[in-house]
Amino acid sequence: MTPTVLYHCPCLSSDPIPPPPNAPSSSYQFHPLHELFFCEECDAVRCNRCVSVEVSGYYCPNCLFEVPSASVRAEKNRCARNCFMCPCCRNTLSVVPSDPSDADDGRLLTGGLGVVGEPPFFLYCNYCRWDSAEVDVTFEKPTGLAAQLQRFEDSAPDSLEFERLKEHFEPFLRASSSSGHPQATHSHPAHINPITAAASSALARDIPGVVKYTPAPRGRRDKGPRDELSEYRSRVEVAGTKDTSNVDFVRRLEEVSQVAALSQRWTSSWTTPLRSSDLRPSRIPLRSKKTKRCSTCRHILIKPEQKAQSVRFKIKLVAANYLPAMSIAFPSPDLARQRAAGSRQTAAEDTSGASGLQAGGTYPFQLALTNPLYDPIKVRLKAEPQVPPPSFTAPAGGSPEKAKRPPFVVRLPRPESEIPVAAFAEAWEYEDDEDMFGGDDDELGLERERGGGGGKGKGIGVIERRANVTVVGGEVVIGRDAKGSIKFNMLVSYTYRSDDPLADEEFTFYTVVDLGVIIPRVGVESITSD
Amino acid sequence: MQTPIYYPKAEFIETDTGNKVSRRATISGPQNIILGGKTIISNGAIIRGDLKRAGPGHAVVISLGRYCLVGEGCVMRPPYKTYRGTFNYYPMKIGDFVHIGANTVVEAATVGNHVEIGKNCVIGKFTIIKDCAKIADNTIIPPNTVIPALTLFSGSPGHFIEDLPESTQEVVEARTKSYYTRFQAVER
Ligand SMILES: [Zn+2]
Ligand SMILES: [Zn+2]
Ligand SMILES: [Zn+2]
Ligand SMILES: [Zn+2]
Repeated sequence: MTPTVLYHCPCLSSDPIPPPPNAPSSSYQFHPLHELFFCEECDAVRCNRCVSVEVSGYYCPNCLFEVPSASVRAEKNRCARNCFMCPCCRNTLSVVPSDPSDADDGRLLTGGLGVVGEPPFFLYCNYCRWDSAEVDVTFEKPTGLAAQLQRFEDSAPDSLEFERLKEHFEPFLRASSSSGHPQATHSHPAHINPITAAASSALARDIPGVVKYTPAPRGRRDKGPRDELSEYRSRVEVAGTKDTSNVDFVRRLEEVSQVAALSQRWTSSWTTPLRSSDLRPSRIPLRSKKTKRCSTCRHILIKPEQKAQSVRFKIKLVAANYLPAMSIAFPSPDLARQRAAGSRQTAAEDTSGASGLQAGGTYPFQLALTNPLYDPIKVRLKAEPQVPPPSFTAPAGGSPEKAKRPPFVVRLPRPESEIPVAAFAEAWEYEDDEDMFGGDDDELGLERERGGGGGKGKGIGVIERRANVTVVGGEVVIGRDAKGSIKFNMLVSYTYRSDDPLADEEFTFYTVVDLGVIIPRVGVESITSD
Repeated sequence: MQTPIYYPKAEFIETDTGNKVSRRATISGPQNIILGGKTIISNGAIIRGDLKRAGPGHAVVISLGRYCLVGEGCVMRPPYKTYRGTFNYYPMKIGDFVHIGANTVVEAATVGNHVEIGKNCVIGKFTIIKDCAKIADNTIIPPNTVIPALTLFSGSPGHFIEDLPESTQEVVEARTKSYYTRFQAVER
């Protein structure tokens, strides 16, 4: 496993200190750098959990047609062209004529080529071989199928019932939104009790963004617009013979696959049948492009280009353009041997100390810092000290000091020592990267420092500087009885030039570093205890 | 920090534009294949440039852009179909910065730029993969599938799993360039 460095997003929390690396909550708070955003206004990192998201455009994921939001509602969020999804396997269906002889390799395109052949036409899955004739869905003409299918969908009992419910509630919703008491629609007077109220205010206090639960005033409860609502009668009586037929069906069941899975019933079919043989094909659901905003200051962090398949953005404020990138590797000791052996095209990628991280060992590693800014930065690193796990009890007769010893110690340059990283320059982005890595650095006027820094151990400190990358040496000392993974929180601070020439700005963030799993020593004790 | 990936120098042919083609790869109909430069064709890969539309002369059957990787044991075969009674092969176009994992079979019509295809996948005939999409390892993409930009597909049949980060383009570009830089010849 290659070591990883993940970056912390405090997610608007007032407590910026992340949980210890082995806490279950840790994995929710750390992200790869390239998944994070940066709000300049708030001078803070944002992640997908703490940005607010708006739809900026809809498109069909199959025909890639951009659908104007005006038609999205009428077409019920699904593609109105010839794009259909297999109710069994979710593959895209093809339109096939009844005479397969001319059916061009058994699969016709839903795209522009047009369908030739004899009616009736049906939908066919070229993956699981489902076809719509099984459920009596056939078409006289191979065109305008989506409209024909939507008529089926709209006439399904569930859909009709839903329409009726909407009609029934429409006047109530209109009345309550115009009454100036929007709270009335959100509160549930039936549930008021002191416990709910207390829990709600505690939640509102602890979690920003949660609106405190406010029940409607008592006086209003009896005469809200709610009371003007007439009783709703469903189209069909629910109690019927259907249940007994289902019992019958289940009794004769031979294979589990005869019962439609929940995902098939609820997402891949316009009806929700119990039997998989009753599943209906559906039009492909639309997908959307999204604009993302900082939820604190509402500034836009991500704004995609209008064109559905464009991968460009009008606004893209990502953390990778602000924070130094970090990657860690163990220098592989047997590189020379591999070179000599001239082994085949084998990657020296598994570099976790070549033979793994053994308990009791000391392993040097290299941390590369890459500066994305057009100004030089100075970085300071501080590995959070390791707390021994609570289960780590003193062995009988062992000194308590030994018991308190952390499972491993990470040595980095002293926290106060500043590691310089040169500015990013476009020139270094040249196509011919290998010139930069393999070529003569002095030609580019770059300084090269070796063994600087000022850590106490040998090889701790700045090892190399080239372009906008500084490589820092560190080492990890693993305890003799240590187990688990080598994972630690690391505080990173960097200073950069600001508009004020007298004072540099500083930015601080947490990372979690995962160096890999410790290979326990096969000692006498462990053999006997097994 | 760039851990090199060594290969014996004699095992690969390097072209003027920096393409590295394994001598253990099978390149059929090389006159019908275009490599954009700095593209690596690994050991055991099979590229079927010979499967071209009927007729005399040569036409581009398979084109790959810059900084691509065709993994070990991959098969790249142009898609075919019978249309109005005539059987034909159709060209395959792969963009820049495209990595294809080991033992994957590709019969796509087009693959955009900055696309990652995992290992042991089957990319069915006439599949269209848009820019910055990703196909997870062991995924089966049925024929004629369209994979939108910036989405991850996985499964059998492969379907949409999640949206990929907005910075996928930069990440994939850096990764593919770095792979090419790390892929170094060593004299025996
Ligand atoms: Zn967050
Ligand atoms: Zn569509
Ligand atoms: Zn299917
Ligand atoms: Zn903000």
